Amino acid sequence: MLNPGDKAPDFVGRDHNGNTVKLSDFKGKTIVLWFFPKADTPG
Amino acid sequence: MSFDTPADNKKFAEKFHFTFPLICDTDRTIGTAYGANVDPAKGAQRVGVIIDRDGKIKEWHDRVDARAWPAEVIKTL
Repeated sequence: MLNPGDKAPDFVGRDHNGNTVKLSDFKGKTIVLWFFPKADTPG
Repeated sequence: MSFDTPADNKKFAEKFHFTFPLICDTDRTIGTAYGANVDPAKGAQRVGVIIDRDGKIKEWHDRVDARAWPAEVIKTL
């Protein structure tokens, strides 16, 4: 669990188009990260 | 973000015309760091996170409502 004020864990990942996505790409911006269980499933 | 493959998330993104990246955390590294890899036998738990401009956690929710959260998030941004 993370708490307000904690440093957001850095990450490097790959998106659905094969592009590299890094947390540092969004420096100076507010970011919403939303995890979902499985692509194209309800609820 | 999910633990799905790029191929599965690409289909999902194209079906709904998403304009944001769906990160494919297939090895669950990011999910683990953010507390979303609760049950390794299942997909990601629906954790919702807002990170502020300084790279700090503004909000962390262990399970958000898939229908209600987008509207709630927009209010806080």
